Parts: sequence; structure tokens; C-alpha cells
Amino acid sequence: MTQIGHGGKTISERVITDVAQVKKRIGGLLQLPISGRAARESIDIAYGFFSPLKGFMGKADVESVCENMTTQDGTLWPIPIVLDVESSVVKDAGLKSGQSIVLTFQHVPLAIMDISEIYSLDKMQLQQSVFGTTDAKHPGVIMYNKLNDTFLAGEITLINSPVFQPPYGQFWYTPLTMREKMAEKGWKRSVAHQTRNVPHSGHEWLMKGAWFSTHGEMPVEKLESGIVVSAIIGPKRAGDYIDEAILIGQQTLQDAGYFRPATHLVSFVMWDMRYAGPREAILHAIIRENLGCTHHMFGRDHAGVGTYYGPYDAHRIFDGLPENSLRIKPVRVLEWWYCPVCGEVTYSGLCGHDDKKQPFSGTLIRSIIQDKVKPTRLIFRPEVFDSLMRCADEYGFGSPFCNETYLEKRQPVFTLSTLD
Amino acid sequence: MPDTYPINIWINEERYEQLRKAGLADLAKDVLAGMKVLQVPCDAVQRDELLKRYPSAKFDSATTKSIELLPPDTKNQLFELVVEHSRVEIVSAFLKA
Repeated sequence: MTQIGHGGKTISERVITDVAQVKKRIGGLLQLPISGRAARESIDIAYGFFSPLKGFMGKADVESVCENMTTQDGTLWPIPIVLDVESSVVKDAGLKSGQSIVLTFQHVPLAIMDISEIYSLDKMQLQQSVFGTTDAKHPGVIMYNKLNDTFLAGEITLINSPVFQPPYGQFWYTPLTMREKMAEKGWKRSVAHQTRNVPHSGHEWLMKGAWFSTHGEMPVEKLESGIVVSAIIGPKRAGDYIDEAILIGQQTLQDAGYFRPATHLVSFVMWDMRYAGPREAILHAIIRENLGCTHHMFGRDHAGVGTYYGPYDAHRIFDGLPENSLRIKPVRVLEWWYCPVCGEVTYSGLCGHDDKKQPFSGTLIRSIIQDKVKPTRLIFRPEVFDSLMRCADEYGFGSPFCNETYLEKRQPVFTLSTLD
Repeated sequence: MPDTYPINIWINEERYEQLRKAGLADLAKDVLAGMKVLQVPCDAVQRDELLKRYPSAKFDSATTKSIELLPPDTKNQLFELVVEHSRVEIVSAFLKA
């Protein structure tokens, strides 16, 4: 069955799994080591997370994305997907357009790239377009400032399928396998919940509220819509929740019965957050559109950082998009808070006890968890807290939050075969 | 009361019951969904001594205005001292112990 992804294009995996064929293809090709981000994005491209992209963008597409938020052919695209290399490497290796090379990661072949262009970019212009700022404190600007000055464009073919380590493997779905899973569950609609958090009750209700919106007018006798928890796995900073705890914590909500398996699925996407606010919200929508989701929940400050964007800029940007440019609908939500008068976690758009509200403060919850005091069950499901503490011991070197030890010694998310 | 640099001790149902028995339940302030906080006061000298003893701790002047990142075991000890002494002014006793 043909699977249609973003831009109305068929999702095609660009992956060779036959080792003999791989060896034949890469024999004699120059090898180019790439960064973790480039490796993750190569994998994303190959499996269709970025469909209809077939590779890293050329200069004309990058400029079109920056200026018009579309690729040259008019497909909605908000953030350039680029591969940067050191200029000296290009020069020393004599890289040229039309050449095929092997991209390697951690000393192992990962993908073949057919170079179609070698170019440079005005990084300041890139930052201004994508982030709306060139402020050196913006984390996306910091990332872009670290990019090398030369860029390679060209199609990618994955030649080494990543092997995801426990617990990641059970949550790994490509766009095609996710669609198979949704069909198996009988879902006609699904709403993506992007997260980088271990869920507290505020998150849980965000998901439940989004599910109600998504299910909408559909019959209630059959549960033909679901929630796709789509965790972002990428670079971590000290103080973030450890990745393993995020995935296991989300799954615990289902295992402990707070969500039915029939309406809930935990997964992840490998992506290095740019914190580009509204533009990044569109990219997240595109990725989940390719995964087969029909809806995407957007809360306050989606993909934002500091005060660079308004709390609901990532909602409003969808208003200005051309009709039919996306095949996924945004579900826009305000925050959920605890109200002692209502005696429950409730929606800020409904509860009128503004002067009594008790918002879910990340700082406050982090402090409670840091002290290893089990929160009340209206804040944190006890099973989720227990799983968090287990993850701290099993994966986090005693801490549920990333610390220097975790960042240095954590197990890899995936490994690659040596192709022997 | 020298409460310029408080230590926040989180009070769940279990700890609240201990406080109640010690006659200190009124000191715990409701913060979120039944979770309460007990603020143990600390003066500048005590704060500096605590930060010296626990290098990972810090005074968060931006958001919580409290001494944060003390080890969980230390927080437990402070809570036990509060219950034992039936008062929140226990940092001095803690530092002497």
C-alpha cells in the first residue's frame, strides 16, 4: 500500500540492508566522518521522517526555506536540513559534485551520499530567518555558529541500519512501521504529543485533552483514535531528564493503566532541537505527518526558549500557512493546572478560580524529584515516580537528571554494525 | 526569624502526618495538588556554611529564592530534626551535629 507523506509524496525508505551489496557499493569510495547530529539526520532522511527530502539540502533550497518557508518546488519546509564539513576536508579530499562518498559515524560506514553540490552560506542570514534573531545566547544560534563553513548537498542512502539499545528499541518506529502499527491498532486518527519530559499529571491531561479534541465527532463505541507520544531524543544538557526515564516514564502511564494500550503508543524521534519556536513547530508537524499522525498537539512555548517567542507564536504560525500545505491538524491547547477549589487538575480555559490556581511548575517538580520525595499522586503518578527512581539507578548513575557522569558515560542510543 | 535563605523541604502525605503528630502541620504551606513545603530558615552565615559543606548545593536567587540541590539524605536529616525538635529553626543544631 502506498504511503503518502508530507507534500503529497510517497514515503520511500532509502535503505540498503544487504551487506554484500553494501560492500560492493562502497568499495573504493572516500569516507567522510560526520557528527552525531548529521548521523541522526541521515537516518531520519533515509527512513522518511523528513520526506519528501531525499538528502541534505542544496543552497537554492536552503535559501528558499529561509525566505519563503518552502523548498524550491513549493513544499512547505521551515528549517534547513544541511550537512556541514570543514573546508579543508573538501579541499584535501578533492571532493566534487557528482562524487559519491561514504558518511561514517563512530568509525563505521553509515550512509552513501551522492554529492550534488558544494556550497557556502551566510550563517547570519540563516540564523535571522530561522530563529528571528542572531543573538549569540540563543541555543539555535549557538548551534549554527558551530557549523563549518562549507556544505554538501546530495541524496542519502543508509547502508547500516541502527540497532537501538534497550530501552530504546521497543519505542523505535519509522514512518512506515508507525503507520503499520497504527493500522494494527485500527486508528483512523492519531494525535502526536511531543515531549522531552517524564510525565506529570499536567502532561497527562494535556494528552487526554488533545485526544478528546482529536476524537471529536467520531463514534464512541470504537476507540479508533490514539495518542502517539513522540519523545525527542537528541543532545542532552545537564539537568535534563535522562532519555531512558522519559521513554519508560511515558510507557509506565500505559502499563499502570492510566492510558489504554488501545489508545496510546510511546515512540521517539531523533532530532537535535533548534529551539526555533514557531518554525520548529511546523517541522515537528511535518515529521509527525510523515509518521502518519492526523493531529499534533501544541502547548504553550512549543520549541521555544527564553523570551525569543511569544507563548503562543507556535500556534499562530499555522494560521498563515497555505491551505493543504500540511496534512496534519494542529491541536492548540492552553495549560492545565491544579485548582484546590475544583479539587482536580483542570483546564485553564475552563476553570475560573484564577486566584487559586496552582500551576505545574517544572522547577518545583524538579526540586521535589531531586529530593527523591514521592510527590502526591495528583502531581505525579506513583508508578511513574517509581519508574523514574529505577531509571536513575539503572541508567542515570543514581540521578534521574543528566549530570556530568551520565553525559560522559551513558549508553549509546544506537549502535552500528561493522559490516563484517 | 533569620529566614532570608530558606531550605525548602517537600512535604508529601507521609511527611505531613509526621508533622501533624509533632504539632507542626500549620507550618507546611500548600504549593501544588496537596504537595506542601516546609521552609527551614537559614541566615547568611548558616547558608555559607551549608554551601561550603555541600559543594553541589547553591542558593537559587533567580527563581526559588532558596538553598537548592542539597543531598536528599541531608534534607531527610533536616526534616527529622524539625520533627524531633518540634520547630523549624534547626539548622544551627544540624551544623553542630
